[in-house]
Amino acid sequence: MSKTTTRYPRSVEPVHTDGRDINPELGKLSGEAGSQVSSGSTDVHIGSVAKAWTSLPEPQVEDPTYYDVPMLKEPVWEWAVPLYYYIGGLTGASLVLGAAAQITRSEQTRALIKRCHAIGFAGSVVSGGLLVYDLGKPSRFLNMLRVFRPTSPMNMGAWILSGTGATATGALLFEGRNGWLKIPGQLLGYAAGVFGAGLATYTGVLVANSAIPIWQESRKALPVLFGSSALASLGCTFDIFTENAEERRITNVIGNVGRVAEVVAGTLMEHHASAVPRVGRPFRRGLSGMMWRTAELLTAASLLVSMAPNRTRRTRLAAGLLGTAGSLLLRYTVAHLGTVSARDSRASFHQQRAGRGAAELSGVSEHVA
Amino acid sequence: MAAGKGFFTDTTLCIGCKACEVACKQWNQLPEDGFLFTGMSYDNTAHLGASTWRHVAFVERPVAMHPDQDGAFSWLFSSDVCKHCARAGCLESCPTGAIIRTEFETVYVQPDVCNGCGYCVVNCPFGVIDRREEDGRAWKCTLCYDRVKDDLIPACAKACPTESIQFGDLEQLREHAEKRVDKLHEQGLKDAYLYGAKKEDQPGTEGLNAFFLLVDKPEVYNLPPDPVVPTKKVKDAWISMAATAAGMALVSIAGVLFSGRETRQ
Repeated sequence: MSKTTTRYPRSVEPVHTDGRDINPELGKLSGEAGSQVSSGSTDVHIGSVAKAWTSLPEPQVEDPTYYDVPMLKEPVWEWAVPLYYYIGGLTGASLVLGAAAQITRSEQTRALIKRCHAIGFAGSVVSGGLLVYDLGKPSRFLNMLRVFRPTSPMNMGAWILSGTGATATGALLFEGRNGWLKIPGQLLGYAAGVFGAGLATYTGVLVANSAIPIWQESRKALPVLFGSSALASLGCTFDIFTENAEERRITNVIGNVGRVAEVVAGTLMEHHASAVPRVGRPFRRGLSGMMWRTAELLTAASLLVSMAPNRTRRTRLAAGLLGTAGSLLLRYTVAHLGTVSARDSRASFHQQRAGRGAAELSGVSEHVA
Repeated sequence: MAAGKGFFTDTTLCIGCKACEVACKQWNQLPEDGFLFTGMSYDNTAHLGASTWRHVAFVERPVAMHPDQDGAFSWLFSSDVCKHCARAGCLESCPTGAIIRTEFETVYVQPDVCNGCGYCVVNCPFGVIDRREEDGRAWKCTLCYDRVKDDLIPACAKACPTESIQFGDLEQLREHAEKRVDKLHEQGLKDAYLYGAKKEDQPGTEGLNAFFLLVDKPEVYNLPPDPVVPTKKVKDAWISMAATAAGMALVSIAGVLFSGRETRQ
């Protein structure tokens, strides 16, 4: 049996229980949930759902909720997942650039290609690590690959990440070689580019495939936002680390296009989600609203600094750091927007009453009751 | 054997005794998930969760139950449960295949396969399934898969003293439920309707294998008015992703070509 808590610790007969109150000498844990690990009480969890009233709630007949208890469950993902969105984006964008540079292979881009493949390799390893870390059962991470299931963007993502890791490793080892490895090496580089483009953008689909209203309503903009942000992250990383002027000229163009697209896609996403005002509310209110504005400002500031004439080492560093902070914050903000949206049952109710539930698919606005 | 099985929960018969909650916890050996005084009528369970597979909602309404009655108060009770949707968001989003459709057309999470990715949690349009933190896996109602396999009825339905929770073949349940609605309409309770009984009633989920008889808006019971399995809408995102991936490639190629030309000058 798992850990236990002591109930009534000060009484004459304290109860030691894992929350089941089954005496292990008399009862065998063979029920459907007999293997559920429990250490006893989890008041913290339920406490986040129901809060003590400070005043009697007014019943709202026109716009009812069930005591404002969330209708949906909050995402259970923690810090590692938004960080993965960022690293996966950077990894993917590097591999796309690596493949693009292969097309116009020259002496100057040789080092750039290697660098891109190195980022791709390291990034896929770190990405995998972050994802495994966030699983509830990390030892079962390989279960992701026991099926191939197109209805699950997460399953598709597991395959994309595996493909990225394999091809990026191959490209790092064999691309640019001569002899019989020349063609396979080049093909691996191009394949890594294709997988990379998938890795940088599928996370948008992953988030969009959700019952959480703010994510669902943002479904068209999310992949664009993540893909653009991936290009911006790439530009920023090279801004910070590269001394090579030739490489920087290339990544600067890509990074700036990414920064512009990131701001545009963000605005688009806010616009889409705000079609139902209640759904778009987290963009404008509270911590989530503040995070959203700050992320946009950081990216815009990074763009301005990056476009300024007479770039020096110092301005490049500033542009890189501002943009990296913007991209990172953006991923955490998207995650937090989902949490806030899941807590607000009216966001779902208003979305569906506005004809944006299943009615949106049939075109017929038909509701029960 | 292969006929679809399900629940018909007739909320007009529920007396809020919570015997279903207790029977479920006992049979399935579910641990507690916190003792809390919520202040929400007599509901201290609050919601369904990883360790709570039946939840009785207590709705206090400022209107009379029956149009013929005086007064401005009525009480609704409803025993909520996993809906075992015909198109299930949890099942379709599960990346490991841990969530399966059983021979009874119910939706079952295999605890020995689930790796706790948490994706089903954001994909359930009813907010049913959840991950227990200490355990790391996602859990929900199994529709007593173990009992049904042995020709027993699920623990909650067995314990229900008023037959508010009815278990059986889906076809028969639907027929019976429609008769019940007609009867209630005859008695003057015109607000009675079935929630999710048929595909046409709830196209987003293509019908619920655990459906309900309600007498007020679904929101009142914390149920979504027009739920949809997320997979049905995600095509837009895949198209957007394909376009973005192509755009990334174009920008990268253009970046290399454009800057390359500059160097050659």
